[in-house]
Amino acid sequence: MRFERRLDQPRWLAVAVPMGSIAVGFALMAVVLLATGHAPGPTYRRLLDSAFFGDGALSATLVSCTPLVFTGLAAAAAFRMRLYNIGGEGQFYWGAIAGVGIALYLGDRGVDSTPAYIAATAVAGAAAGAAWAAIPGLLRAFAHTNEIITSLMLNYVAGLVLTYLIIDSRSYWRDLESFEGQTFPLGKMIPEEAKWPSASLDAFGGIVLPLGFGIAVALAVVMWVVYARTRFGFELQVIGDSPRSARFAGMRLRRKIVAVMCLSGAVAGLGGASFEADFAYQLDPTGLQTSFYGYMGIVVAALARYNPLAVVPVGFLLGGLVNAGFTLQGADFPSGLVGVMQGLILFCALAGEVLLRYRLRMGRTAPRAVDPQAEAAA
Amino acid sequence: MVLASVNDTFVVVIVAAAVLYGTPLLFAALGELLAERSGVLNLGVEGMMLVGAVMGFWAVQRLDAAEGVSLAGALGVAAVAGAATALIHAFLVITLRANQIVSGLALTIFAGAAGLSSYLGNDLNLSGSPAEHAFSGLDIAGLGDLPVLGPILFDQSALVYLSWLLVAAIGVYLARTRPGLNVRAVGEAPASADAMGIDVAAYRYTHTLIGGALAGIGGACFSLQITPQWVGGLTGGAGWIAVALVIFAFWRPDLCLVGAYLFGAFSALPPTLQARGWLTGIPSEVFSSLPYVMTVLVLVAVSSGAARRRLGAPAALGVPYVREER
Amino acid sequence: MRGITKRFPGVLANDGVNFEAAAGEVHALLGENGAGKTTLMNVLTGLYRPDEGEIEIQGEPVDFQSPRDALDAGIGMVHQHFRLVETLTVAENMTLGWHTPRFWLGVRAGRRQVRDVSGALRMPIDPEARVWQLSVGEQQRVEIVKAVFRGSRVLILDEPTAVLTPQEVEQLFETLRLMAREGHAVIVITHKLHEVMAVADRITVLRGGKAVATVSVSEVTLRSLAGLMVGREIAEARRVEPQHSPGELVLQVANLTATGDRGGFAVRDVSFGIRAGEIVGVAGVAGNGQRELAETIYGIRRAATGIVRVDGKRLRRGDPRAAIAAGVAHVPEDRLGTGLAPSLSIASNVSLKTYRFPPISRGPLLLVRRMRERALALIRRYDVKAPGPDVPVRNLSGGNLQKLVLGREFDGEPRLLVAAQPTRGLDVGAIETVHTYLREAAAAGVAVLLFSEDLDEIRALADRIVVMYEGALVGELDPASASVEDIGLLMAGGRPR
Repeated sequence: MRFERRLDQPRWLAVAVPMGSIAVGFALMAVVLLATGHAPGPTYRRLLDSAFFGDGALSATLVSCTPLVFTGLAAAAAFRMRLYNIGGEGQFYWGAIAGVGIALYLGDRGVDSTPAYIAATAVAGAAAGAAWAAIPGLLRAFAHTNEIITSLMLNYVAGLVLTYLIIDSRSYWRDLESFEGQTFPLGKMIPEEAKWPSASLDAFGGIVLPLGFGIAVALAVVMWVVYARTRFGFELQVIGDSPRSARFAGMRLRRKIVAVMCLSGAVAGLGGASFEADFAYQLDPTGLQTSFYGYMGIVVAALARYNPLAVVPVGFLLGGLVNAGFTLQGADFPSGLVGVMQGLILFCALAGEVLLRYRLRMGRTAPRAVDPQAEAAA
Repeated sequence: MVLASVNDTFVVVIVAAAVLYGTPLLFAALGELLAERSGVLNLGVEGMMLVGAVMGFWAVQRLDAAEGVSLAGALGVAAVAGAATALIHAFLVITLRANQIVSGLALTIFAGAAGLSSYLGNDLNLSGSPAEHAFSGLDIAGLGDLPVLGPILFDQSALVYLSWLLVAAIGVYLARTRPGLNVRAVGEAPASADAMGIDVAAYRYTHTLIGGALAGIGGACFSLQITPQWVGGLTGGAGWIAVALVIFAFWRPDLCLVGAYLFGAFSALPPTLQARGWLTGIPSEVFSSLPYVMTVLVLVAVSSGAARRRLGAPAALGVPYVREER
Repeated sequence: MRGITKRFPGVLANDGVNFEAAAGEVHALLGENGAGKTTLMNVLTGLYRPDEGEIEIQGEPVDFQSPRDALDAGIGMVHQHFRLVETLTVAENMTLGWHTPRFWLGVRAGRRQVRDVSGALRMPIDPEARVWQLSVGEQQRVEIVKAVFRGSRVLILDEPTAVLTPQEVEQLFETLRLMAREGHAVIVITHKLHEVMAVADRITVLRGGKAVATVSVSEVTLRSLAGLMVGREIAEARRVEPQHSPGELVLQVANLTATGDRGGFAVRDVSFGIRAGEIVGVAGVAGNGQRELAETIYGIRRAATGIVRVDGKRLRRGDPRAAIAAGVAHVPEDRLGTGLAPSLSIASNVSLKTYRFPPISRGPLLLVRRMRERALALIRRYDVKAPGPDVPVRNLSGGNLQKLVLGREFDGEPRLLVAAQPTRGLDVGAIETVHTYLREAAAAGVAVLLFSEDLDEIRALADRIVVMYEGALVGELDPASASVEDIGLLMAGGRPR
């Protein structure tokens, strides 16, 4: 059995592989369910109901998927250029911190225009995320430091900052007035005007579209346009494909690395701001740190094969899964199912990748490695 | 008594706690070190640790035997569970040449706190009750009460002694045996190793699986000694620290020991300081963040040009090996 | 080795070659690049199976199924690119892949063995040193000791002096003579004439896949060897005398120095100039700094000292963008890896350097349609065989790739064209096309700097010939009057008349 590099990638395969992975993932999960004494049929039915088909399911899924689309876009932006920004989680946290912070600040100043709040929280969130991502970006561009580990470590630092702000200090973000706030650590609620509006539609039996979701979809389209139709996007394509050719063409690599990391961080930070302003309204370290939106965003991006437009539907599907896992928690429904399913789907996608890059051939294995220079000089 | 109070001093308490908290880190880091030496980056350590923790716990609850046998059996189960989880990653990245980073992350999500380990923990009804047996200090030859050295050297659990043995064994393995030499060659220059007749894939598989087994044992340290109960996600990010630890230790087993205890001390510091009312001005998070910050600093230093060659990662780390077609 | 013939798709690498080496002699295998030397030795070391012919070791016929068989039969090779693992110690590299000891490495015994063997060869090496710490010459010694350690009776060295300093070369020669005296058969593959004269006892010259002569060193002179090597029953190089006279100075290079990839200087104090409409051909055997010089002029490689001026304006070091802006075009040796982005479409690659400017882009936006139009025009004009502008560039054949790259560079209306090995690997028709374009460019007033290993090509195209040897320009010749022997001599390190 032998793998042979493919010359071209048939279009249909590029779509078939992610879809096939999801299908196979579901099938494998069914096996796991059976093996552990759960009936797959009813479990799946309940899952699909909570995720998509039940009353209010779609709206709930939109809530879960909005942060995922943001972090998915953030990961896709970076991973596409082979910059492995694992720091989406930490950048998301900082976006939340900054978003809540500015909302509280403006609230104290008596600002009451919602558009002002929207602008301020969005900008603050994006800026905070970008700044946090600039650290691994600069280290990579100028000190050749591996961005995987640096961005990962910074996630933990960001998490500790979150914990500190609410649980271990009497900071600006902490609610010290209310009765509950004095009993256990709680975050201040942002003012009413700061909460992002949502649109109620009659379609699909009545759904609620959060503003964040709208922004995320728009962002996906913008990202796609930038990538495919601007000079900057072209440079990213070339750098991601062959850094040497990029240098040959006179592109400035270091600047682009920092720029892309900051962009990725900004999107993740925006996601954090949206999470707060659309749904949570207060800084909740425990909730944030157990949701793993940042890491899940990487799963979304990988499944979407780093295409921003594909991130939206994939994020939606995974959001449904997360939503179901959340609502169905209880004695009947296996906990941890969400993670297992996501993992299985991703494994299948990774395995399917092989089919995209290589063709399977039966036959003798290739002979022992030869010094390629010896051949050229012959 | 005088002796007792010496052993209650800050330093001794910290060191003893450092060893306690550092041991799971050490096991996991040693495992990851072996995998990375062969060129495979496995970011799924956290997931493998959790799977090992839950399965080890399950074994100790189910095994109806004497304490020693029960615990040994539980460790074995934990190791096998970790290795089985690692097999997924190994198959994906070695045989199917998948992206190692994404695969490792997928493994963490699959097996981690929101995944398989919680699934199993829940399904097997493991939470709520403490372990039937747990590892505890062995008080070797009654020397456990000696001042200073007593609690540190002679009153540790079997797990700790096992970890010390492993550090020595792995060190010798890498430096002085032929398989150890081969794995180093595989991680640095797989093409040259292949040309010399070394089976690159076989080495990568075995070392990744052993890495998984050790991570499983590391996880069992939590559920069988430190806690000793099953709670979802009880490793609390130790797996990620272990990954950082390998880099911090420049891929050397002896430095892994130092680093593990150092990082263990950092996590032991906050409660100990608090109990004594020292340094209350500094938030505990600062100490908790030290391992991560230090890792970043070390990484920057290691990556700068000149240092890179001397102290750096195995050259082929993270790169799938494809034998070139003629 | 008798009647060895080896074919590869499209090329006859060895054509009925007879070769023998005796114990106690240093036998040089001489020839230009592409003459077939390395192929022949690869057959001897078991890497390739010959299509025809047989090999005998000490009178016994042998048939190698793999490199291991050759190793076991006592054939050892020191390659041009060392097979050492750099982070391991010398002793570890020595024993890597060897049968004994089986489990415990026996560090002390290993150290002793290294010291013994290397001492016997009068080349002491520290067994505990890590390979990356050693100089290139020392690393080569490790490779030699490794071969001897494994019981090689026949020692083959492939271009051993390519990476050595003159002093190290001397030391190497002493070692080789010593080894011959000890009873080994030493085979040296090389293209460097005066070194051959210095160390060899017998010389076999390969040319175009055939063995043209086997002589003992006392029978030849430097000049006659050069003639044999480069040699001439060739068709008369058809020179087309340029219609125009060269214009003003376009490129001026002064005291240019640059370091190579392995440390050491690849470009040493190079100075020269090129006028508009002039083609300057740089002759030389591969590996003498041509690639590095091209890269330094274009800016992919940062010069250590020296100045590059285009149209009088000084170019910033290490900045391809400055070169592009000044009108420098570059056809790199490594077409697919450096000059093109392999997975991107033809359209993207055609605009690889011009994407920043109108009409390809307007403001920040990229006009994809214009990119495709430009690509289509280019495909048509330069006769690139491709299904369309959207296919990934890596699907194209070598010849078409080169036409694409050349077309793109010409299209930019450059002032200076730096072409590195532009016809390497191309078939005759494609080569003709490339030559025509180069001439047309010169006629249009472009200054052309042509690096080529093909002497015929240079003699046919260039208005002036310079020769590069070990990083420096060693001579300037007029193609109309210079003989092939003169050029060959300079190429091989000899001194000009």
